Amino acid sequence: MTSIETGHDHLQPQSKPSRTTINRRFKRSTLLMPLAVAAIWCSALMLTPYDPNATNFLLRLSPPSSEHWFGTDQLGRDVATRVLYGGLWSIGLALVITSVGAVIGTIIGLTAGHFGRAADVVLMRVSDSFFAFPELIAAVTIAGLLGPSTSNMVFALIAVSWMKYARLVRSLSVSISNKDYVLQARLNGLPPALILSRHILPNVLPNLLVLWTNGWSRSILSISGLSFLGFGVQPPNAEWGAMLLDGKTYMQTAPHLMIFPGLAILFAVLAINLTGDRLRDRLDGR
Amino acid sequence: MLNIQRLGLSINGQTLLDDVSFTVEPGETLCIVGESGSGKTSLLKSIQGLMPAYFEGISFQGDRQAEIRQKGQWRGPIGMPGSRWVMQDPIAALNPKIPLGQSISESLYRRSMPKMDVDAAVRQALLDVELNPDVATRLPSEVSMGQAQRACLARALIANPSLILFDEPLSALDAVVQKQIAATMKRIQLKYEIMYLIVTHDLGFASAYADQVMVLKNGKVEANQTAADFFHDPASPYCRDLVLAARALGSLSGPAIPSSYERGADV
Repeated sequence: MTSIETGHDHLQPQSKPSRTTINRRFKRSTLLMPLAVAAIWCSALMLTPYDPNATNFLLRLSPPSSEHWFGTDQLGRDVATRVLYGGLWSIGLALVITSVGAVIGTIIGLTAGHFGRAADVVLMRVSDSFFAFPELIAAVTIAGLLGPSTSNMVFALIAVSWMKYARLVRSLSVSISNKDYVLQARLNGLPPALILSRHILPNVLPNLLVLWTNGWSRSILSISGLSFLGFGVQPPNAEWGAMLLDGKTYMQTAPHLMIFPGLAILFAVLAINLTGDRLRDRLDGR
Repeated sequence: MLNIQRLGLSINGQTLLDDVSFTVEPGETLCIVGESGSGKTSLLKSIQGLMPAYFEGISFQGDRQAEIRQKGQWRGPIGMPGSRWVMQDPIAALNPKIPLGQSISESLYRRSMPKMDVDAAVRQALLDVELNPDVATRLPSEVSMGQAQRACLARALIANPSLILFDEPLSALDAVVQKQIAATMKRIQLKYEIMYLIVTHDLGFASAYADQVMVLKNGKVEANQTAADFFHDPASPYCRDLVLAARALGSLSGPAIPSSYERGADV
């Protein structure tokens, strides 16, 4: 560090460890657990000797054993493998749905907040009317009208999830655009697009991130719920909700068919929620 | 030279500023004092085009854009070129997510300059405000209040303005830092011959640094005198009360309690 000799204390930057290093350390530990889980999951996917859709009628409904850790289902398929592959659908689709919803909501929120009163009124009333329907019921209705398929479910869930983001982004970005530093940027002649990308979005992002993780875990539940009702991922694809639906018939005789996918949903939602909570704590701690 | 003639501002039928005229000579400081709600900050905002003020005339350093606004309401882009604004709360005036150096260089946005020149200019501006150039990489949350206000001063200074508007630049700071930054402001003014228009509550500060004092009361100019005249022979009973009150509080130099600022000290 080059320091200039002036004899004034205020010239020297404070010598405590920089806040950014602390933040980086925190960020690493917050992201470490989900990354480890993802790594274990990927290696398990590669190591499993079974095909998720390969049937074996000699081994129908067998209980958990050293060969089949989570047992087999009514078609003799390995439940452990299906739970692993099901995660790709549940968590992956949920990620797609939440991300697309967040991007759409952000664009709509920014448009409503910064491109005139007419846009604001129209877009916010539209989002209010979407809010008027209970989320899952509206998704069931849309998916039911369009016919049961994975892509229709994705569309339905995006259609009922973007409003949260739009509202949050609109209200936060409007309050940020009244801040002094935005006024300084305007006085300095920065174009509106640059003010949005440089001053407003980075300050909306932390809150958006927390809402996004929250939405992600809720989407897992919604996907599983819709699949359980038969509107989502279709057989023979393994999806946790669809597996629950398949296992329902054998609940008495082979409970492992429902227990393991159920636990998978529980742990996935819990892990994402806890990560979201830690993110929130970290961002609040500023 | 900044010359404002008959500036008026009314919003929703309420008159906030009425018939305000004044002149600031190059390199001089005009302190605007007055109680809360007297229109001090509105005046600064009007000069920057942030409020729909009316002018009879405004001329500034032979600046063409200002001359276009000879008469009538301010229209067109906000911000008076060649001037910069330093705000009251330095933390609110700096984006918490971007490093100070980037905030400072934003002031040069209108000029397209190569990155190297910008970096050099940021460095020079930080040295001018007596900050270590290393703080350019820090976030506002990583520096003290005083350092943040110095960074804001650097942001104003880097554009090489001939006028800087200050909106209570020291009131967010503690007394020791106030004094140091006031001295820095004076040094910069002497070095670059910048006009200062300073809104302040602190008559002690005004007595030490102002060349001219303008008192606003209910949006009207109550007095506009040289500092020497104002503190020794106030133009109106209201100004007299202000000076006496400040003297009683000890923020002005009197026989009993010395001023926290001394004229010409630290320069």
